[in-house]
Amino acid sequence: MPITRRNTLRFLGAAAGSLILPRHLMAQGRHRSITIAVQKITNNNTLDVWNEQSNVGERVFFPNLWEGLILRDWMGNQGPVPGLATEWSRPDDKTIELKLRQGVRFHNGDELTAEDVVFSFSDERLFAGTEPAGGTTLYAENFQPQNAKELPASIPGIARRLWPALRGVEAVDKYTVRFHNATPDITLEGRLYAFGSQIANKRAWDEAATYADWAAKPVTTGPYMVEEFRPDVSLTMVAFEGYWGGRPPLERIRFVEVPEVASRVNGLLSGEYDFACDLPPDQIAAISAAPGLEVQSSTIWNHRVTTFNKQNEILADPLVRRAFTHSIDRQAIVDALWGGDTVIPAGLQFESFKTSDMFIDGWAVPEYDPELARDLLKQAGYKGDPIPYRLLNNYYTNQTPTAQVLVEMWKQVGLNVEIEMKENWGQIHDPEGVKGVRDWSASNNINDPITPMVVQFGPNGEAQQKRDYWNDEVNQLSVVMETSVDPAERKRAIARLLEITEREDPAYTVLHQNAVFTGMKSELNWKAAPAFAMDFRASNWNA
Amino acid sequence: MLRFIFVKLARALLTILLVMSFAFIVLRLSGDPAQILLGPDAPQDAVDAFRARWGLEDPLWQQYLAYLKQLAMFDFGVSMRDHSPAIQLVMERVPATLALTIPALMLKICIGIPAGVYAALHRESVADRGVIMLSIFGFTIPSFVLGLVLVLIFAVNLGWLPAGGQDGWHYAILPIATMSIGGIGILARFSRSAMIEVLGQPYIRTAMAKGLPWRDVVWKHALPNAAVPIVTLIGFMVGALIAGAVVVESIFSWPGIGRLIVVSVANRDLAVVQCILLVIAASMVMANLLVDFAYGALDPRLRSARSGK
Repeated sequence: MPITRRNTLRFLGAAAGSLILPRHLMAQGRHRSITIAVQKITNNNTLDVWNEQSNVGERVFFPNLWEGLILRDWMGNQGPVPGLATEWSRPDDKTIELKLRQGVRFHNGDELTAEDVVFSFSDERLFAGTEPAGGTTLYAENFQPQNAKELPASIPGIARRLWPALRGVEAVDKYTVRFHNATPDITLEGRLYAFGSQIANKRAWDEAATYADWAAKPVTTGPYMVEEFRPDVSLTMVAFEGYWGGRPPLERIRFVEVPEVASRVNGLLSGEYDFACDLPPDQIAAISAAPGLEVQSSTIWNHRVTTFNKQNEILADPLVRRAFTHSIDRQAIVDALWGGDTVIPAGLQFESFKTSDMFIDGWAVPEYDPELARDLLKQAGYKGDPIPYRLLNNYYTNQTPTAQVLVEMWKQVGLNVEIEMKENWGQIHDPEGVKGVRDWSASNNINDPITPMVVQFGPNGEAQQKRDYWNDEVNQLSVVMETSVDPAERKRAIARLLEITEREDPAYTVLHQNAVFTGMKSELNWKAAPAFAMDFRASNWNA
Repeated sequence: MLRFIFVKLARALLTILLVMSFAFIVLRLSGDPAQILLGPDAPQDAVDAFRARWGLEDPLWQQYLAYLKQLAMFDFGVSMRDHSPAIQLVMERVPATLALTIPALMLKICIGIPAGVYAALHRESVADRGVIMLSIFGFTIPSFVLGLVLVLIFAVNLGWLPAGGQDGWHYAILPIATMSIGGIGILARFSRSAMIEVLGQPYIRTAMAKGLPWRDVVWKHALPNAAVPIVTLIGFMVGALIAGAVVVESIFSWPGIGRLIVVSVANRDLAVVQCILLVIAASMVMANLLVDFAYGALDPRLRSARSGK
């Protein structure tokens, strides 16, 4: 930028102007507008569902902005419900056919057609020429880019994780599409309502000059559309009058980024914000005590786990890892650090697996039994050598205090665990030095036990890719989970996987389910979903 | 004089180069941006593609040479987060920060210096004690505590001012107050001690002995001599105009350069961090240069030393 008189004046004007910005976004008309204070709006400064695969992304995207052919029942059992598709069927094990809802409009007025669905799963939008596992791409010739856009380098890899074997999407007619997979897959429906598989308008993509332009204001079918996105500052969404589900109840939803907890709480107390998200459990009492305010807690599709590194000479012995799992008083952690506002799940399972009858009843985390843990260490001949624990400073809520409690609990049975503070994930995974235990979380992405078990601990999961863990039987059973279309066989496989990875040859141990806490004005009469997502559709407003 | 300017400018450029080189190396040795930006659950294919796209797999020296080449062509790179030009992201945030730091600096100077001078001229009085007490309070209380206390009083309890954000001029009042109170305290104490030292000098006694009015003694003899250390301090404050609001911007959710620093460093958004550091280093160096030139204007002895007379 050359230093000219004009540029200098412009610069000074901007400095002064930033002080006298109009107080905008006031409530207009009969519909209310709300302000939500969050710690982070997005991690990657885009509103692309494939580029912003994070908890914070889930909050601003669903169900208000992005919609898929099948929707997640956010306020119900978290199972599948019709969305942009009204019905679906399985012509064979590798194919799913969906009938599109007619009359659905995008925010730019275009009608949703099969062409938009085809585009949303194209090479141009997602796969960038990557080949599906076990097959070749179909219809590649249909997806020539209209202009040069640089797709973020990570998107094809992320898209292929969710759709590893998708060969292509066929537009049968204007309102019918078929998804063709290279391999049999019983989880195609789950993948269709997973984070990422939402539908974008093709014309808006074609007309955008750059990817950044498009990703700052994606054109979708959701009840609210993007009015203004200021990365790291605010995201304002305005009601979409033409929404297929009826006029949304709010005029505007404004997410503002307030990084400090104290500032979010103060803003809620002063009445400036209607909601304050990402509250640590120790703030609940103060907000709940304030007149007119309440805190809603909700468990999310994410479990906190401790994982083991089998390359460590001490942890190579499964008896030592078993001792770790039996020396944790999980309920004490939940009571002390979470105020009892979360739960200890049935191992690496989610209640929502019951919607597809894939939940193993009677399974539980290893019981707290310090005597058993001491006995296991004795059998293993453990001499008290130190085991490193690479730790991030509260990447997860309560991470550091939980680690301190764990180390003390392990010490009670004779395990000598030493915390090594690290700054980021690169340092956690640094192959240099000795690894021992570390923190992780396990997410349910497609509401099938494939996630998180196979995706995170199977042969292609990060635990094995980073050489933390390996087990031949786990790998064989992972293949069954991924390719079998026999529900009974899959259920047996996941039951056995739980036995191996949580008891016989532990890869991890589950600590508790993660939860989020949202402070809000009680008058709003709004309910939090068991997720990061915040539902501001008519069905959940003044319900 | 020309040689003096040339040497100063050469030193300034060298300082900026050293800062940039140090930041370049430290940023790359302290964490992989691919892991940080894509998160712990990112598939390896995505991480590999990201690293290849941003040249993170090249040897460090190759990356460094490529960076220097870019800098030489005034190309500051693009953000790894959203592909926006780094310089654009940085310059968009500078006005918001200056909207806080410039008024805060004015308040510091307009209140801190007169208060310090007044206290020095009325030594051991109640006013002097009051100034000392308030200035100690001002510069010892951390800004993150002061900011939150002000929010509790004026936003939560009284409801007079907003708790945070940037939706109008009144949103700037609490951040500016938070930033200026500490600086006022520092300047007041510094001005007071500088004045007290000058007032004890023989030339002040001489001026008074020859019958000059007290006002002239203060304005013509005491203040100019006390100004050199005060200008040094103000120089530091001017240098911190760009980067001096990190904590306050976080507390008040003010979208300035301080917030951008925190977010970009946490995400290892390399081009943006390097661009911010370049701007900060340049502003610091510029402020130091200005102070050096101001010394010459204030103190004739320094002027003649530079010109070799």
